[in-house]
Amino acid sequence: MSLSRSPSPRPGGGWSTPGLILATNAVSPGTFSPNGTSWASAKATPDGVRGYPSFSTRNAGFFSRHRDRLLARCTALWRRSSHEYIDKDDDGPKFRRADSPRGSRWFSGLFMRRGRLRLLLLLLIVWITYLFCWSSIVQLYRRSPIGGARKFVIILGSNVEGGVMELKGAREWAIERNSIWNKKKYAARWGYDLELANLLAKKRYSHEWRESWEKGDIIREAMLKYPHAEWFWWLDLNTWIMEYDTSLQSHIFNHLESIVYRDITTYNPINITHPLPQFWLDELGRSVDGDGNPDSLQMLLSQDCAGFNLGSFFIRRSLWADRLLDAWWDPVMYEQKHMEWEHKEQDALEYIYQSQPWVRSGIGFLPQRSINAFPPGACGDLDNPVSHYQQEARDFVVNMAGCMYGRDCWSEIYYYRELSKWLSRPLWTRFKDSVLDTYDGLRGKAKDD
Amino acid sequence: MQFAVPPRRSPLPITRSSRMPIYRKKQLKPIALLTVAIFSLLYIIHHTYTLIPTSVVVIPSGVVIVTLLDRQRLSESYISKIVANREDYARRHGYRNFFASVSDYDDAIGDAPKTWAIAPAVRHAMAKYPRSTYFFHLSPHSLIMNPTKSLKSHVLEKSKLEELMMKNAPIVPPDSIIKTFSHRDEKDIDLIITQDTEDLNPGSFILKSGDFARFFLDLWFDPLYRNYDFAKAETHGLDHILQWHPTVLARTALVPQRSISSYSKDSLRASPEGTYKDGDLVIQFRGCEMEGRDCEKELEPYYNRWLGIIQTD
Repeated sequence: MSLSRSPSPRPGGGWSTPGLILATNAVSPGTFSPNGTSWASAKATPDGVRGYPSFSTRNAGFFSRHRDRLLARCTALWRRSSHEYIDKDDDGPKFRRADSPRGSRWFSGLFMRRGRLRLLLLLLIVWITYLFCWSSIVQLYRRSPIGGARKFVIILGSNVEGGVMELKGAREWAIERNSIWNKKKYAARWGYDLELANLLAKKRYSHEWRESWEKGDIIREAMLKYPHAEWFWWLDLNTWIMEYDTSLQSHIFNHLESIVYRDITTYNPINITHPLPQFWLDELGRSVDGDGNPDSLQMLLSQDCAGFNLGSFFIRRSLWADRLLDAWWDPVMYEQKHMEWEHKEQDALEYIYQSQPWVRSGIGFLPQRSINAFPPGACGDLDNPVSHYQQEARDFVVNMAGCMYGRDCWSEIYYYRELSKWLSRPLWTRFKDSVLDTYDGLRGKAKDD
Repeated sequence: MQFAVPPRRSPLPITRSSRMPIYRKKQLKPIALLTVAIFSLLYIIHHTYTLIPTSVVVIPSGVVIVTLLDRQRLSESYISKIVANREDYARRHGYRNFFASVSDYDDAIGDAPKTWAIAPAVRHAMAKYPRSTYFFHLSPHSLIMNPTKSLKSHVLEKSKLEELMMKNAPIVPPDSIIKTFSHRDEKDIDLIITQDTEDLNPGSFILKSGDFARFFLDLWFDPLYRNYDFAKAETHGLDHILQWHPTVLARTALVPQRSISSYSKDSLRASPEGTYKDGDLVIQFRGCEMEGRDCEKELEPYYNRWLGIIQTD
């Protein structure tokens, strides 16, 4: 007898447990008990007999087990395409799902009988699924614990001067709307978390207290709110992320050791003494580049032509960061320096960096244009390539620093928004543009002649 | 392949067969799946754990006693007494001594009072003995009176420290609104310090080396504090830091005064519960360098008593 594909071993067929058969049977090869399976038939249908088929085929495989969940993501699409299929093949075998044994037979028939049409349809389905679901699958992966995106939180300071102090005009609203849209798009693309920090003027931060030190409080709150995140990226409102295709990992964090410098003498616009000369400090305190280990970097920032710039910086969740955020504002220091510290928390950080050796080893500097490029004219009159945005280099972020002092924030934001859109235009538009350009060029030439 | 006996029919529980028994083959898949699952789990665990910045270093051991000597103002005989006292204690327990000179730090201190030299001196000791864990700063106007008591058994041991720690106590007595944390363990503590009736007492504290120590000492020694004209210089600086910076407070244990810095009867702000009694570890002649007092004269009787103690041992 042969064993059919039964869902479970039946009394009349299938294998019994070895111990239940009499000992003598086992010694003589030919004498198989009738309720067993003959050796010949076992050999003849090896796949079916070895093991309990129904146990292993049902619900085996990743796809069949997760089918429902996968399909739920693409329900509408799936329904449409399967209907199409059934309508066309009324006389053919009804569509069976791939996990049933008939499915595989159907599959092999695909190529032989009316294969081509079905193959095409299948490819079409795959293609449409790819088009519609791929990005959400990728994003799902990036957001997952192994995707790595949850390590990053973008904090955007918004609603500057909103609230009781000043009424925001149409341009301020436009800046805010656009800037938020820009960060949202970037964060969604790579699966990062975005925290919109409301910098509403509050009395507890107003003058003689600690105006503009609220960054520290906001970062601390974000650290509580996103317990899985490691790096927090502060961005001022007047910034524009130009390159959506660049992830933070590939841009900075995968090669910290080569992109970050701790030796401030590499670029030292305000001539900070480095390394520290004090003889009582330990090696770490007097070292040129901290302990040289990129894992001990706790804060990444950039310098513009006037020193530290905190329009765009990274800080890592760590004891070091807790201590820095704690030491950053101190009433005794503030009382003595608040008239001098024109750039408030930025100058305070610069000061702490110089006066307290423990800070140095944790801070790494990034080349300014990698996270904080300036528009022309923002840093001196010269358009020097250290500070200012370079279109050919496709700089990552532009910071319209100081645009509220005599420049026009909205027009700068608008310009970079359009530039970014144009730079990342799709291939086809690119091709069209180049054709038009050549055409125009030729016509212009002809006209000139 | 032919088989004399289909192996699965064998009644014997242990059958040696060149082929894998069917039930084992059946198990292969789950085993493989399980292995894959375990390995991926291990990978994920490894991955997530390597993300957490670890500051685990080889844990050093030992205590360094830091004494700051003002060689311009203290007499040779006084200094030699202090040195003898510290060296005897260090020898008994295998500790080290670090004697720093105030004048070494003159340039850094500038116009501020010379007492600010404590912070760079302790930092200096840490740089010199990077493998030691505890740094016990003891003012030059103090004597170790109970040389047989080791710091470990007296203060540093987990059970001892947790028993001594004053929880929810005002940092600046009698009633500052900032109080010590009420839920700290020994492992959270890097700084062990006492207070007298008015302030914290920087004349005697124990600091554990590491990132916190660097942070704390650098913050304390910040030029803006030194130049602020705190009435009591570094003492007020310390009061200020502990009240305004929770990251410092969180790693500080306040212990009863007599555990590491009993005051002599003539000391400033000596209170009954903080005054030296026989058997205390340390006696401090707080403020003896001020006008109208004489450190050497105050030291003399206690020094002789200490000599008596070490001779009877």
